[in-house]
Amino acid sequence: MYALCDVNSMYASCEKVFDPAIRNKPVVVLTNNDGCICAACGIAKQMGVGKKFVPYFQVKKELEAVGAVIRSSNYELYADLSQRMMDTCARFAPDMNIYSIDECFLSYGKSVSAPAQGWHKLAEAIRKTVWREVRLPICVGMGSTPTLAKAANHAAKRISGFNGVAVIDSEVKRKDILSQMLVTDIWGIGSRLGRRLNLMGINNAWDLAKQNPTKVRKDFSILVESTVRELNGEVRHNWDNVRAAKKEIYSTRSFGQRITEIEQLQFAMATHVEIVAAKLRKQKSLAAAVTFFASSSPHDYDGYFSESYFHRFTVPTNDTINIIKLTQAALNKVFKSGIRYYKCGVGLMDLHSEQLFQYDLFSPSTDNPKLMSCMDTINARFGRSTLHTAAKGFEQKFAMRREFLSPQYTTKWSDIPKILC
Amino acid sequence: MLKFIPIKAHAGIVGFESPAAEYSQLRLNLDQLLIDHPSATYIGIAEGESMKGDGIFSGDLLIVDRSQTIKDHDVVVANLNGVFVCKKIDKVQKCLISSGKGFAPYYLCEGDEFQIEGVVTRSIRLHRAFKKKL
Repeated sequence: MYALCDVNSMYASCEKVFDPAIRNKPVVVLTNNDGCICAACGIAKQMGVGKKFVPYFQVKKELEAVGAVIRSSNYELYADLSQRMMDTCARFAPDMNIYSIDECFLSYGKSVSAPAQGWHKLAEAIRKTVWREVRLPICVGMGSTPTLAKAANHAAKRISGFNGVAVIDSEVKRKDILSQMLVTDIWGIGSRLGRRLNLMGINNAWDLAKQNPTKVRKDFSILVESTVRELNGEVRHNWDNVRAAKKEIYSTRSFGQRITEIEQLQFAMATHVEIVAAKLRKQKSLAAAVTFFASSSPHDYDGYFSESYFHRFTVPTNDTINIIKLTQAALNKVFKSGIRYYKCGVGLMDLHSEQLFQYDLFSPSTDNPKLMSCMDTINARFGRSTLHTAAKGFEQKFAMRREFLSPQYTTKWSDIPKILC
Repeated sequence: MLKFIPIKAHAGIVGFESPAAEYSQLRLNLDQLLIDHPSATYIGIAEGESMKGDGIFSGDLLIVDRSQTIKDHDVVVANLNGVFVCKKIDKVQKCLISSGKGFAPYYLCEGDEFQIEGVVTRSIRLHRAFKKKL
């Protein structure tokens, strides 16, 4: 049996934990630099505001009209509350896999025998405990495979009558829940795949579950076959491939204010290189290609500009310095004076495992793993970018804008909550 | 002329290894003593004089445990109409009691938004101010 626990509108819910004054109000959280909406609480959604990824300035008036509370992303707070939620969930199962900041799978092993109080009561207990101890609202779905647990979680959240908890532990319930779900509501079925399935007359999850797995593999892919098998109770996902090493790594961010100088754009690019290269080393991979990109805002009046630079390495690398050397060539391509840059980023692609990579005798690697590991260790110990390349510059004018930031109640002494006596 | 090498000589004296070296991880940590359920505990700061009877003064640190079962007359933190308050709870009479002199009990009525947020398991008196600003 598997359980999937996830927090309802995580970011917005986190904002309410230490601010009781806004618990009954519509709360909307903005992305980096307060650009777009990235989360809205249930109350805001009911009021019809807080659609994801809508630029804030476009709906500012609308939000004001309903008295919405606006917050910048407070990652320090979310990370701490996420950890607390995970620790609490972990108490309820022998094995756990943290899937993202707001969701985790609990695994009860192959035996499907229910605990003394029954699966449903257990799921309710998890939900109640997380609410009581962390003050975060979660939904819990249970099923005999990760995909069925995801489906049950969808039912718990979206299908009326479930109240935050759903368990697929019988054929009747499996049919009931799956036939109320669109194919695109199934874990791993995207909208494009969904359209193709719809053309074949497969409209809901139950239709897909009834398909012949072998035929599905021929028509689509092994991933869709796995999904069909999982919908029928055969476990195909395991913890390792649920979180496989990433195939591409990006670091991209919009600027706090528009950039027009080449130096500032260079600093920003170098910053992104440092971030992606560190991530790459963390998952022990090498990149064979890199892309740099920069653009103005599509919402600015002076026309949209976007340009990118692609480079393929002769020898795959994960050395920050090797990648940073390319920023000069990249800037020559993407920088034009007069453009008001809004966003830039760096992506590493065609990733290979560090251990399995076959090196070439005639083109030796120029990576300096000792230096990199030294840099990573120092930065892990003393905080991000304690040690960084000079290419990144020392005065960054584009740092994050977080105008509506709430206090970091659990990670900063000066921000701990005040309690009236 | 005799040439000197300007380097100090080292004798190979390394001394005895401290017999306590292996036990150095035993240093006391206040979290261990004061916090029973780390993932359910948060720290707040008291503001106001109404809980002096329980030894809670303005500026004291309050350790609040959300996982504790609430007993009658516990010192708790509650959300009262959108504000965190620290009071003693009287479950029978449904009221919040201030232990300081001259504070009347607050009887909860129907329109009140009220939730208990956790039990104040410890309060920390700061007899001298912190060296650093909090």
